[in-house]
Amino acid sequence: MAAVVRRGGQGGLGGRAVPPRSGGSGGSPPRVNRATVWRWVVLILAGVYFLLPLWSALRFAGISAFGSVIGFAGFASSLWLSVKLAIITTLITIALMLPTAVYVHLRLPKVRRLLEGITILPIVIPPVVLIVGVLAIAPGFLKSSDLLLALEYVVLAMPFAYRSIDAGLRALDLKTITEASNSLGAGWTTTLWRVIMPNLRTALLSAVVLTVALVLGEYTMASLDLYQTFPVWIYVNSQTSGQVSVAASLLALFVTWLALMLITVLATRQSRRTGGGQVSLFTVTARQETRGN
Amino acid sequence: MTTNTASDPAAADGLRPVSGARGASVLLQNLSRSFGATKALDGLSIEIAPGELVALLGPSGCGKTTALRIVAGFEHTDTGSVLVDGKDISAVPANRRDMGMVFQSYSLFPNMNALDNVGFGLRMRKLGAAERRTKAGELLDMVGLAPQAKQYPHQLSGGQQQRVALARALAIEPRVLLLDEPLSALDAKVRLQLREQIRTLQQRLGTTTLFVTHDQEEALSMADRVGVMLEGKLEQIAAPDELYERPATAFVAEFVGVMNRIPGELQSDRLVAVLGGLVPAAEGTDEAPGDVDVLVRPEGLRMELIQNGNGIVTNRTFLGSVTRVSVLLSGDVTVQVDKPSSEAAALPPGTSVTVSLPPEPVIVSARRSATP
Repeated sequence: MAAVVRRGGQGGLGGRAVPPRSGGSGGSPPRVNRATVWRWVVLILAGVYFLLPLWSALRFAGISAFGSVIGFAGFASSLWLSVKLAIITTLITIALMLPTAVYVHLRLPKVRRLLEGITILPIVIPPVVLIVGVLAIAPGFLKSSDLLLALEYVVLAMPFAYRSIDAGLRALDLKTITEASNSLGAGWTTTLWRVIMPNLRTALLSAVVLTVALVLGEYTMASLDLYQTFPVWIYVNSQTSGQVSVAASLLALFVTWLALMLITVLATRQSRRTGGGQVSLFTVTARQETRGN
Repeated sequence: MTTNTASDPAAADGLRPVSGARGASVLLQNLSRSFGATKALDGLSIEIAPGELVALLGPSGCGKTTALRIVAGFEHTDTGSVLVDGKDISAVPANRRDMGMVFQSYSLFPNMNALDNVGFGLRMRKLGAAERRTKAGELLDMVGLAPQAKQYPHQLSGGQQQRVALARALAIEPRVLLLDEPLSALDAKVRLQLREQIRTLQQRLGTTTLFVTHDQEEALSMADRVGVMLEGKLEQIAAPDELYERPATAFVAEFVGVMNRIPGELQSDRLVAVLGGLVPAAEGTDEAPGDVDVLVRPEGLRMELIQNGNGIVTNRTFLGSVTRVSVLLSGDVTVQVDKPSSEAAALPPGTSVTVSLPPEPVIVSARRSATP
């Protein structure tokens, strides 16, 4: 569900007429740029591909269904559970992955490839395998709490969070700024809090949004663990009231999309201020070069 | 020990030190450090007087940066210790050592403007916001960057960034200032300006400074004493002029400045037969009699315009007041001789000359098959 966030640069898709070059021949009419035509073709095709199902869903649900979603039995509690799980998962994931990624970058650079491999595992291992394993060994008190699912989600979110943070760290001269901070009297915690984290803000935001989007949309694990999260509630209600569940899905999609837009705006603002690299969900471009000597 | 630090500071330029703080004495005692099978440091010992600027000079991999990082607390030693004002700080973590450091790569915090970067160390020392801003502003002013206080690192040039980094390191009034090739990323002109600025500030504040560089010109022009390192060991530490004029080893002789290597023969009476004459070997020569190389600086050779001499001029390089003349001697040996430019004008390539040595002691080294 998480679509690519960063859109083309300004004017990239725009149909603005290219201003004639000053001092040019002037008389001939501007030629239609073939690349611009192709951009429009791709844009329209992609638009149709993505928007047509949404429009169909909107037509099927009807505007009135959005009003009745909120009062529907289980809506509030399932949404609250999903939000709660998203918060807990995000906090645990960041608390685990940030120091780990920083430590590996600083002290164990040789282990980085191994860690990348390990973080891929949750993607290649089917969730059902994970669930069976966890249920077999989890202590009783965990099985009866929301924490169990949150911990499973931490594993699931690990590849996305690690990659976002790793991309942010690669764009920094981590070793030098850490040592500079140390030499000025800052300990490890202060360095992490005041120097590393502010420079990883965009990467951390990416990690957070991906984790939240993943938790809000996850169905298999919640269903197998018998939790009624928001996606499970949507599925259950689709059996009895299709229109309401489609309306709820559209709402969830809209909220997620808003969150993704927010991160893009925040990331752009930070980059403009500090000259940091551009970080979208999985890609980081290098920091801006220093100007001359 | 040559120390020209304490007397000249404030009065000369009317400036006043940020505080009355003075540098500490530093003693590196028998430092050794290995990385796997590679010995980065092998029993390095250096004593640095309060307020002195010592440069560590040497080729890549000689251990100079390792030594600096050990003093900073970023590396540990296998054996040996670091003493500051007589106190062993080997076990003290880097953030408690009170040492300012300027790094080779730009190390400013990208999320902070110049003023906040300079104020960071003061913040760690719990100074109030107003006091911090005032002092950071003073430091920026001192490096001539007060107008750039609100700019972020990416808005500053490389030279400006290193000046902010210097101000940041000095803001905490460190007991020792550590400079890890801070000028190597800058272009020649900026490097020269910043070199002078660092030296002036260091002398004004009297901060004990350890400076690592592979650039001999930088080391010789800035330091009170220069330590030349090779394979983890200190070959010689001395004032720049002494290092140049009385190098202790063949490596130092050739590493610092330009040196000719001329084949000769060491006799049992410690005289060396070279260029058709006899000259005494320098004191401390431990080479066995036989074939050796004599090491002589371009300005230490005599050259006369003589028909059928022992060499032919092959090239001339104009260096300002002097011109360096390349002369091909018999035996396919090329030497470089410095002559006043006015005299060198009469020595075009192809001119026959005679190169000789004045009767002064020369450095003798084991014979090397290839000449430089």
